[in-house]
Amino acid sequence: MPKLTIDDREIEVAEGTMVIQAAEQLGVLVPRYCYHPGLSIAGNCRICLVDVENNPKLQIACNLPATEGMVVHTKNDRAEEGRRSVLEFLLANHPLDCPVCDQSGECDLQNFYMDFGLYSPRFHEQKVKKQKAVQLGQHVMLDQERCILCSRCVRFTDEITETGEFGIFNRGDSSELGIYPGSTLDNAYSANVVDICPVGALTEADFRFKARVWYLSSAPTVCNGCSRGCNIDMHFVLDRPHLNDGARMARVKPRYNAGVNEWWLCDEGRYGLGWLDHERADVVRGPAGDATWEEALTAISLQVGEGARVGVIASTQLTNEELFLIREVFQGARISANVPEQPGSSDDFLIMADKSPNMRGATLLGLAGPEAYDAGQILDEALAGDLDALWVFGHDLVDLFGEEKVRELPQRVGLLVFSGTNENSTASLAHWALPTAGYVEKDGTFVNCDGRVQRVGRVMPPYGRSQEDWRMLLKLAEMLGRPLDWAKPEEIFEALAAAEAPFAALSYEAIGKDGAAITPATPTPGAPAEAVAP
Amino acid sequence: MNLADLEGQAREIVQRYEFPKAGMLPVLWLVQQNQGYVSLESETWVAGVLGVSPSQVHEAVSFYNMFHTQPVGQRELRVCTSLPCLLRGGKELLDRIEETLGIKPGETTADGAVTLTETECLCACEMAPMAQLDERFVGPLEGPTVDDVLRDARTAPGSPLTTPEPEPYICSDGPILSSRFGDPEGAWFEEFVAGDGYVAAHKVITSMTPEQVIEEVSKPSLRGLGGAGFPTGRKWSFVPKDTDKPKFLVVNADEGEPGTFKDRYIMERDPHNLLEGMIIAAYAIGCHKAYVYIRGEYFLSARRLQRAVDEAYEHGWLGKNIQGTGFELDVVIHRGAGAYICGEETALLTSLEGGKGFPKLKPPFPAIEGLFACPTIVNNVETLACVPFILREGADRFAGIGTERQGGTRLFCVSGHVVRPGVYEAPVSVTLRELIEDEQYAGGVRDGNKLKAVIPGGISAKVLTAEEIDVAMDFDSLMAAGTMAGSGGVIVMDETTSMVDALESASKFFADESCGQCSPCREGTGWVHRIMRRVIAGKGRLQDLDDLLAIADDMEGKTICVFADAAAWPVQSYIGKFRDEFEQYITSGHIANSVEAVHA
Repeated sequence: MPKLTIDDREIEVAEGTMVIQAAEQLGVLVPRYCYHPGLSIAGNCRICLVDVENNPKLQIACNLPATEGMVVHTKNDRAEEGRRSVLEFLLANHPLDCPVCDQSGECDLQNFYMDFGLYSPRFHEQKVKKQKAVQLGQHVMLDQERCILCSRCVRFTDEITETGEFGIFNRGDSSELGIYPGSTLDNAYSANVVDICPVGALTEADFRFKARVWYLSSAPTVCNGCSRGCNIDMHFVLDRPHLNDGARMARVKPRYNAGVNEWWLCDEGRYGLGWLDHERADVVRGPAGDATWEEALTAISLQVGEGARVGVIASTQLTNEELFLIREVFQGARISANVPEQPGSSDDFLIMADKSPNMRGATLLGLAGPEAYDAGQILDEALAGDLDALWVFGHDLVDLFGEEKVRELPQRVGLLVFSGTNENSTASLAHWALPTAGYVEKDGTFVNCDGRVQRVGRVMPPYGRSQEDWRMLLKLAEMLGRPLDWAKPEEIFEALAAAEAPFAALSYEAIGKDGAAITPATPTPGAPAEAVAP
Repeated sequence: MNLADLEGQAREIVQRYEFPKAGMLPVLWLVQQNQGYVSLESETWVAGVLGVSPSQVHEAVSFYNMFHTQPVGQRELRVCTSLPCLLRGGKELLDRIEETLGIKPGETTADGAVTLTETECLCACEMAPMAQLDERFVGPLEGPTVDDVLRDARTAPGSPLTTPEPEPYICSDGPILSSRFGDPEGAWFEEFVAGDGYVAAHKVITSMTPEQVIEEVSKPSLRGLGGAGFPTGRKWSFVPKDTDKPKFLVVNADEGEPGTFKDRYIMERDPHNLLEGMIIAAYAIGCHKAYVYIRGEYFLSARRLQRAVDEAYEHGWLGKNIQGTGFELDVVIHRGAGAYICGEETALLTSLEGGKGFPKLKPPFPAIEGLFACPTIVNNVETLACVPFILREGADRFAGIGTERQGGTRLFCVSGHVVRPGVYEAPVSVTLRELIEDEQYAGGVRDGNKLKAVIPGGISAKVLTAEEIDVAMDFDSLMAAGTMAGSGGVIVMDETTSMVDALESASKFFADESCGQCSPCREGTGWVHRIMRRVIAGKGRLQDLDDLLAIADDMEGKTICVFADAAAWPVQSYIGKFRDEFEQYITSGHIANSVEAVHA
């Protein structure tokens, strides 16, 4: 365990730690372009130069193992002067595209120039011309002139996806980044190269010219695209409808979580959230047309109260808190989150075949899995006239069971309620259609495939007139004369944790931003214990 | 021939290497030899053969400048315009060839007969100004010889050439390296063993321990003659003894430093001496597989060395059970494809592994983790060629020839404005003045002109003025003089030389040859060359001189290898020592020969 001094502060680090990491442990960010903790060390950008005492040359911190007694200066004149020259080289042929570059505002060339550059440019020559606006694949645009050839993307496709699309061709200052001529960047994780590109060379086709990044807000959440529950930051804009084609959600970025997705996110998840701003359900619709929430819940409460035979087709898209509330509100009802969904594509990295974000939570709460009812069974009972009321959360029964089977449902059951985020055929059939909030519009938790409980977080307010499922359920409980003493998801979770052993040790605080394991921490049978090998 | 028909040969090539990807350059050569160029279709095929992504093949094809990506003429004429050729009329030669053929470099004549290529140093500066017609070096290209070459260039491939063979002065004075250089057809096995060939190797593998060999080589301070001057014995001693990994000996025959052409003489005229040195080195480090990485332009060197390797196998000096001792050594000749940087030892290893010639991060050093991540010693051709003498004649005799800190002789390559350019073997204590002026060496400055400047160790070395040449040529003396012995390439410039043109040429070389891996070098070399081009075009500003010096300073000491430093040194020393001339050039506003500029 070598002990070293960085910027006059001592730190002891594990054997094999590089100085750039040791500095980070002290909260000192040594500038970097090519270095990325998830990739092999390339050492080519040279921006992480630091001054090591008794060493005549500046050293790159990314490839310098910390040793006992080493004294490192990351901010002294020598180090900053060295980095300033490296930056001037990197910017020599870099085009002054900042006013039209999507990376502007989150570009490490801009950031480090402001930190320690601030020189007067000496480059008076014609810059090297390369290709601009090359569409590499569905999601990624390349601007070769902006590329600083750090090779992060090359290493990503070589080492992480092992698809090998990228290469740096030619040599000297004619070197240019590209993919094989005539090929397409179409691996399942392609957009990660945009995230790791430190400059504006690789940008998102979807986000192209949509908004300047300084107008965006960001909040942490998790992806609901499959049961992996990759951690993400959602970037959104609420107060400038002229931006981003009027959509609130601007883009999604993976958020580092060592136990789930590390730095990465699949394209399917990243681009699977368009529903948040498209074809959202926005009105409460009853048998007599548009209504208020109050009217709807009053009417519904009269038909699902004491003595009514109620079926609930719940959803693994709902949070644990909401599933728990469903159990509490609809005591004695047939409840199932088991719906006949075809497994989707999967791989041996992040993508899971089970596309539900909270299958594990629903199973732990007894609403899904082999022990639970089957949605088809409940539907059959409803069709047989054995139910007075059927409440469908989010699902499109037409899609799941076929139009022919479902067509007669409104006539066979006294009350058919649909609540969901987006319009669908079931919403059109229902006696009552209630617009509800998307998962990032409310707080709550999911349990991922490895038994990790993760906060969904509330990124933005519910869309239009939609309401959070938990709020709707609490109100319904009140109207049913069985008010529940909880005011927000956190309190519901406390009750859930008290009632359900796997959650016993947990609270929102314990879950934090990285999630926490259920007790005992058991992975889904057949699934690897950790999402990502250390 | 179809790609499918090459499959068998390609598989056979791949078998020679520990990892299939290492077959990259030889398989690409195979494709180019059969198809004339490497098409995208061929790249995809090569990727399949080697089990790599097509992008990796495309990287290699685009990195090495001897591969053609488009169909070319039936013959290729590669004209050198590096500094040593430039000094002897290389630019005028290229102009004349362009005019006669009616094409510019990079173009092919309308009848598809010949493609013209402008190339950096081919390391045949003793025959400057020179060119390469397909595989053959031709020069000096002056007067009627140019017509001969242009006529030959238009003949069908394979037809005999009428251009006379180059006849440079051949030094065969010995005592260590050049004794067998006299025969232009090479010293083959019978002749080699009729003298004292393989005596040292026999002694080593039958009667010495590896430790004794290393000690013997260390005693007389044999130092790496590729340019770095690192003590050879010490380098060998770094190879771990207690490793399960195979160890490799890699011979750096990627001679590319402008002004250097010595290793070519060894490989073409005394190849068994190199092999004997390799056997001894391999024995000393406990290695059973050696690669010789020969620059792609050295077709004849590769052929001759391959013939020597075949002879050595035939006579039991290579293979499974060398001379019945049980010692085993296999040698593979590996050809580069046009990239100066591959002379840097770790770039050479990356290249040998099938990648672009990118220098590797150190540590780990090659002796610990080199080729295929195994312990590897990389030695220069000349260094290894010294080894048999030391083991045969004794360390004391070798030490007695040189200085205390560097034993032996070197093959000094003298080019530029001298009476008799050529390779000269001399003790390392010889002075630069002696090499230039003595009758036994280069015989003085040509045409009775005055000496202006000398680059003593290849283009990377800092320039010395006419007043600074009373310096011994060993590593330490030249370092003390503020320059370096480098590769032993002495480039002599007389009073007619424009230092501005010289710097433009040097800066072009470094810009063309930077691998592009580290940002200061990739951007800095191009930047310097762009400024120099502007200066040459008469659009220089006095401020450019300070900018050039600042850029050079900023490039120094910040990169993975020392290429960027080497690119900075000419800038610093040419401008530093000839600033008046640069200022004159810029302010006079015209493209003047420096003689007029300086004496105006």
